[in-house]
Amino acid sequence: MFFHQLHNELWKLFGKKRTYIGFGMFLLVQNAMLFGFHFSKGFRRLYESALAGNGYLVDDYISALTVALIMLLPQIVLLIPLYTGLIGGDLVAKEAEDGTLRMILCRPISRWRLLFVKWVAGVIFSASLVIALGGMALLFAKMWFPWQGLFVFFPEPEHIFAVLPAGEGLKLYAISHVFLAINASTMMTIAFMFGCFNMKPAAATILAISFLFLNLVLESIPALADYRPYMLLYHFRSWMLVYGQPIDWARIITALSVLGAFNVTCLVIGGTAFHVRDIKS
Amino acid sequence: MIQLRAVQKIFGRRPAVEDLTLSVPRGEIFGLLGHNGAGKSTAIGMMLGQVWPTRGEVRVCGFEITTQRRRALQKVGAIFEAPIFYDYLSAQRNLEILSHYTAPTSKQRIAEVIDWVGLSGREQEKVRTYSHGMRARLALAQALLPQPELLILDEPSDGLDPEGIHEMRGTILRLHRELGLTILLSSHLLNEVEQLCTRIAVMNQGRKVFEGTVSDATRRRGWVRLRAGDFHQAAQLLKRALLITDDRDGKLIALADGVGTDRVTRHLVEQGMAVFEIAVEEETLEGFYLSLMKRGKAGPPPG
Repeated sequence: MFFHQLHNELWKLFGKKRTYIGFGMFLLVQNAMLFGFHFSKGFRRLYESALAGNGYLVDDYISALTVALIMLLPQIVLLIPLYTGLIGGDLVAKEAEDGTLRMILCRPISRWRLLFVKWVAGVIFSASLVIALGGMALLFAKMWFPWQGLFVFFPEPEHIFAVLPAGEGLKLYAISHVFLAINASTMMTIAFMFGCFNMKPAAATILAISFLFLNLVLESIPALADYRPYMLLYHFRSWMLVYGQPIDWARIITALSVLGAFNVTCLVIGGTAFHVRDIKS
Repeated sequence: MIQLRAVQKIFGRRPAVEDLTLSVPRGEIFGLLGHNGAGKSTAIGMMLGQVWPTRGEVRVCGFEITTQRRRALQKVGAIFEAPIFYDYLSAQRNLEILSHYTAPTSKQRIAEVIDWVGLSGREQEKVRTYSHGMRARLALAQALLPQPELLILDEPSDGLDPEGIHEMRGTILRLHRELGLTILLSSHLLNEVEQLCTRIAVMNQGRKVFEGTVSDATRRRGWVRLRAGDFHQAAQLLKRALLITDDRDGKLIALADGVGTDRVTRHLVEQGMAVFEIAVEEETLEGFYLSLMKRGKAGPPPG
């Protein structure tokens, strides 16, 4: 029964055109970025100095993998929160706004179960968005750049510098997407939680993104540097740690635990709000 | 099938339903009447576990809705005014989605219901292409999918054209007759309620102001219409003979206890008064309803 209901939630989600906005935007943004990288001398110069200064040949590492990874950064910061927040906000609030939630809730399904099914559908969407993001980035980058080693350079605050053979780079690139999917699901969960309250779907999305930006602002205040481990973005960066040499597994596990607890907390808050609220037309 | 006992619902500081006690017996078509904002939809929301009562008890199919919602709604179908569906999906897919919140439903059962409501051949079309009438039929189909014993219809004819209203009325009667469903019908189409329902409850400002049969509501008990040669003289004669207790409007008389129209007629004729017509006065449901609304928070039904 659960899988029937999940299957139906996915039908509803992927049957809507707006669900594909994110996928479509990735397609446009990635190709625009690739176009820029391919024809821009500034990009090459930037990486040349970092690689040559450490004794590596730039021609060996300006590759499809490196470019795909570079392309991920702005999309992870800007686009993933937007699209996962949009869908998370829609899952409950849009149905309440449209009136279909009333149709569902005259059925003998518990509100907790309904929410859980919807949340799982949201997680599947978030994961598929991240997989599409990574897969498309690599695919398009492969069309414009050669298949060679991976060069990773994340400046402050993580300070990660790594040069990896193509096979190893691809493996870490795939693993980092697992953590990115967890981040995307967390963003979706925040919007989902707000959507469980009596508010418009756009308000739920805006609140979720505002929460993320608030974290970003707080984290960038030097006086609050000691409190960074209490902020969500600090734990969102666990995907970058995968490329560290050696990998900081302790911090990754901590981050996963914190994100897991954060997701459960959001679900409980949202679920409680949804359970006690009156559903009216 | 439905029992509400001393139910109250307050939104913020505004009471939407106050001290509502209601009983819908099995097999009836029960009408719930009231103006917009009278508390009908809130009462229906409480019956479906969508609105939590502030106080009181709501039982549906024998189960308390707040604690045993799943069991209470197992055999319940509902339609709301202006039925909303997933417009971007087909009717068939909509029915599959909605039915799976109750129990796994076979394609054959879905096809049966689609056929019953007369949408065969159109089930693969997207709902956005449907007319209002077709949506109403689809709403009925989704309500029938779980093979309900109780059907709750909240303004089912809302937005339909006269032909659609007529068709919906026929369908409700057919559902009652062929499937033996208990139906709770909320409507402000008084002639519809008059034609369909056996019992009604009228709500005003969150309170129930009348509950009884339609004939109770339309019978102006105690008042008899009299057309005589001289009404006022006739009324005086009847009062003196203690056959009536009151008269009004130059045409109505209130019979004394134990007095029938035959005795009144005989007395007038014996007194040499011409009697052209004497009949128990009946009222339309509309007249009854409007008089209730004027009276505001009335107590017992008129009698």
